[in-house]
Amino acid sequence: MSRQANRGTESKKMSSELFTLTYGALVTQLCKDYENDEDVNKQLDRMGYNIGVRLIEDFLARSNVGRCHDFRETADVIAKVAFKMYLGITPSITNWSPAGDEFSLILENNPLVDFVELPDNHSALIYSNLLCGVLRGALEMVQMAVEAKFVQDTLKGDGVTEIRMRFIRRIEDNLPAGEE
Amino acid sequence: MSRPAHKRPEYHKINKDLFVLTYGALVAQLCKDYEKDEDVNKYLDKMGYSIGTRLVEDFLARSCVRRCHSYSEIIDIIAQVAFKMYLGTTPSVTCHNSSRNEFSLILHKNPLAEFIEELPAGRSALCYCNLLCGIIRGALEMVHLAADVTFLQDRLKGDNVTEIGITFLKKVDDKKYRRKK
Repeated sequence: MSRQANRGTESKKMSSELFTLTYGALVTQLCKDYENDEDVNKQLDRMGYNIGVRLIEDFLARSNVGRCHDFRETADVIAKVAFKMYLGITPSITNWSPAGDEFSLILENNPLVDFVELPDNHSALIYSNLLCGVLRGALEMVQMAVEAKFVQDTLKGDGVTEIRMRFIRRIEDNLPAGEE
Repeated sequence: MSRPAHKRPEYHKINKDLFVLTYGALVAQLCKDYEKDEDVNKYLDKMGYSIGTRLVEDFLARSCVRRCHSYSEIIDIIAQVAFKMYLGTTPSVTCHNSSRNEFSLILHKNPLAEFIEELPAGRSALCYCNLLCGIIRGALEMVHLAADVTFLQDRLKGDNVTEIGITFLKKVDDKKYRRKK
């Protein structure tokens, strides 16, 4: 018996609430496993890195984005294509450094933090730090070493959520990226 | 400074792959935390239950589902509306018995296991997608329906399909339920 095609019942699109709540369960588990927020932040970043390394293959296959020729073009692709595809939002790009090697992504809303309130004993927790790891892992696979970090967070009372992106260097082709 | 009012969440469509990979990170973390597969399974179910009790509020607010009059109607809504909304897939439904309280959802692809081919080494008893059982059970309990939810078949264990069995128990007693509030 031949296997039935499943086309028509599968979609890459899903509503974000299940993802948001599952992510919340992950953060809760890490807060139990590690004694301090810094370790949770580190582990979220590491997990995000591993996710980004795999997600980039899917992204390049689906988005028809060619090679970016500079960091400005990369910023546009991240904000207008990748965030839209994977999180259903389009952050704005601001605060370019004069050298063009740093910019900020401004998220007016962050679906990861729907339903979330940060308890007082986790003031150092960077709740959505997985996203920084995802960005770093994905860009490393296209030969860009970057730093990504949250500099504003609505969960901490800021008006917006801001991820600061800094280009460090282009990675030589003969050094394959690996898992952390 | 007063804390800004919590904005009503906007509804976002996301690509499933980020969720599937994040779920993989969760399972990997639980496998680090617990030696036994049955403990990981139990914990996934418990997490799923907690998620389901909250997800059902979102579902009822968005889906315009009214009161259901039969178990099979409820199962159809789970398969055709809820799975579609939250996982982008529509399982098929079968009914197992004449009293019509035992059903199965048949998934030809395991929606949470898209990036893995087989269970991790030494984890043959792991129920990788057990979060889904907890979610369904938690959501149903919030609408006063007690149910047993288990995986009967799993493609990750060599079966041809992934099958989630749902057995409705008796209706949760209204008075008992009210007392718990």
